[in-house]
Amino acid sequence: MEQLPLEITAAADPTFENFVPGSNAEALERVRSLAAGRLREEVIYLWGEPGSGRTHLLRAAARANPSLATADDVARLDAAGQQALFSAINAARDAHGAVLAAGDAPPAQLALRDDLKSRLAWGLVYQLRPLSDADKALHLRAEAARRGLELADEVVWYLLNRLPRDLPRLNATLDLLDRYSLSRQRHITLPLVREALASVDGETRRQ
Amino acid sequence: MQNLWDACLRRLEQELPAQQFNTWIRPLAPEPSVDANTLVLAAPNRFVLELVRERFAGRIERLAAEASGRDLGLRVVLARGAEPAAKPAQSALRGNGEVPSILERARLNREFTFDNFVTGKANQLARAAAVQVGENPGISYNPLFVYGGVGLGKTHLVQAIGNHVADARPQARIRYIHAEQYVTDVVRAYQQKSFDEFKRYYHSLDLLLIDDIQFFSNKGRTQEEFFYAFNALVEAHKQIVITCDTYPKEIAGMEERLISRFGWGLTVAIEPPELEMRVAIVLKKAEAESVQLSEEIAFFIAQHIRSNVRELEGALKKVLAFARFSGRELSLELAKEALRDILNVASRQISVEGIQKTVAEYFKLKIADMHSKKRSRNVARPRQVAMALAKDLTQMSLPEIGEAFGNRDHTTVLHACRTIATLRKQDTALNRDYLVLEQVLKG
Repeated sequence: MEQLPLEITAAADPTFENFVPGSNAEALERVRSLAAGRLREEVIYLWGEPGSGRTHLLRAAARANPSLATADDVARLDAAGQQALFSAINAARDAHGAVLAAGDAPPAQLALRDDLKSRLAWGLVYQLRPLSDADKALHLRAEAARRGLELADEVVWYLLNRLPRDLPRLNATLDLLDRYSLSRQRHITLPLVREALASVDGETRRQ
Repeated sequence: MQNLWDACLRRLEQELPAQQFNTWIRPLAPEPSVDANTLVLAAPNRFVLELVRERFAGRIERLAAEASGRDLGLRVVLARGAEPAAKPAQSALRGNGEVPSILERARLNREFTFDNFVTGKANQLARAAAVQVGENPGISYNPLFVYGGVGLGKTHLVQAIGNHVADARPQARIRYIHAEQYVTDVVRAYQQKSFDEFKRYYHSLDLLLIDDIQFFSNKGRTQEEFFYAFNALVEAHKQIVITCDTYPKEIAGMEERLISRFGWGLTVAIEPPELEMRVAIVLKKAEAESVQLSEEIAFFIAQHIRSNVRELEGALKKVLAFARFSGRELSLELAKEALRDILNVASRQISVEGIQKTVAEYFKLKIADMHSKKRSRNVARPRQVAMALAKDLTQMSLPEIGEAFGNRDHTTVLHACRTIATLRKQDTALNRDYLVLEQVLKG
């Protein structure tokens, strides 16, 4: 059988419009204002577990305003990166610029310089919460519609009840189903989904 | 130049981690250059500009040379209209390129004044000394050495000195600089062989405010330059103000001759603010934002945020932002809701093992019961609760959850989740158990 690897690929280019807010509506609104230069505060720091939408919001904001200073995954910044972010925050406060940063932990728990952590805590800090299953179902349907696919409810719930439920992997699965249904010239039905997932499982086991 | 830059981009994209590439390289745009032998790249902001100059300039130059087959110079400049231009008053010193010299960046933030510096037991000494120095620079204490932890207002205080002097003596040459920037400037002066200019500038100041001097640690060349500047300024009765995260003798990697000079004037500490002062800080900040804040809310914030002033301000901003967003009146309830994240920061990754352990302890069972095949209700029900919690609180798939509970099928997990959802509506005791467990797990 032809090989269809399960790849983590980006879904649609991240924008504010295709961000599913779930319980993160306030964070979305603030980041939008920051990117538009309409926010009083100069710094926003977003944190949450992988798949909670940090990178999506950062990239959407950078696209909306290319002069915005953004720093994703701040825990991985080396000394020079930390110094640069530190200066950027100071510069933003002095000249009313804007900085958007994100990480996987609240400021106080980051393994960064203390003076940088306290500066991140100085701005608006939002915890991004993963979507509920109902919101994820919404997202799957919207994402499928964007690709011109139709997903029956039973397929949506089949996926949510069997797969890891973070968005990057759900998107990857949708990607797989898209390609699989195209290569087989068949609609996405439960039997096709089982087949597609089994083919990936087989592939993973052989590796 | 666009084609050349595209070629460089492709190489850099392969060489660098995606995050670095997207953050630093992608925002650069080639600009028309008057000189055919120079590649000019515009950076959208200073953050990107400086980092690219420091870390990627050499590599980009080599790639450009390879791609074009000839030697090319590289200039990284600030994109037009990217940031407000430097104020005229700050252009005392100018480099010879079009790029503003780093020394041209000043600068005092006019928002930091003595008036809006909230005083309490923790900082009244430091403030009194700072006011003295602001009134009589170069005469009273030289240097003034202010030390304390992060976010306690050291920068505010020294900038307030700068602003006070600037208002009283408009002709005074004042410079506020963060120690890290000073280190970078020394390195640059060294590379560009512009030490004379560097010295002339620093030795001609009337007031030098240098922040976070602990960053000089183990920087021999910087310490030497600063030693000369220090001596020149003190001899000429020009004022030096220094901040640090610790007192002089405790600074590691600092030359003895500097440490002893730091103690020549007055050394004062800023301590973390006590409760009353934290309340006052919150109220003052709210006033600055033209917001009427009740003492009750200020007290609530001050009681829960203890570490430093920045976090206190961050918490207040969050409350105000939440009120604007939700269109609700400021109240204690609203403040509690807005700060929920900050107050329960322990809510990090929850593991299925953690859930099993917590649930087993709560219902006085053994952890093994979570995996066992026992079907008696006193074991099976807690197990179902644990499964439902695992589904609600983790991103694990249902088959994975089933596996973690003694290799059960995902349909068993699904059944457990539905059962618990139904029971929680009928059985208040069970609902309470569930909520308590959820709260314990979220921390």
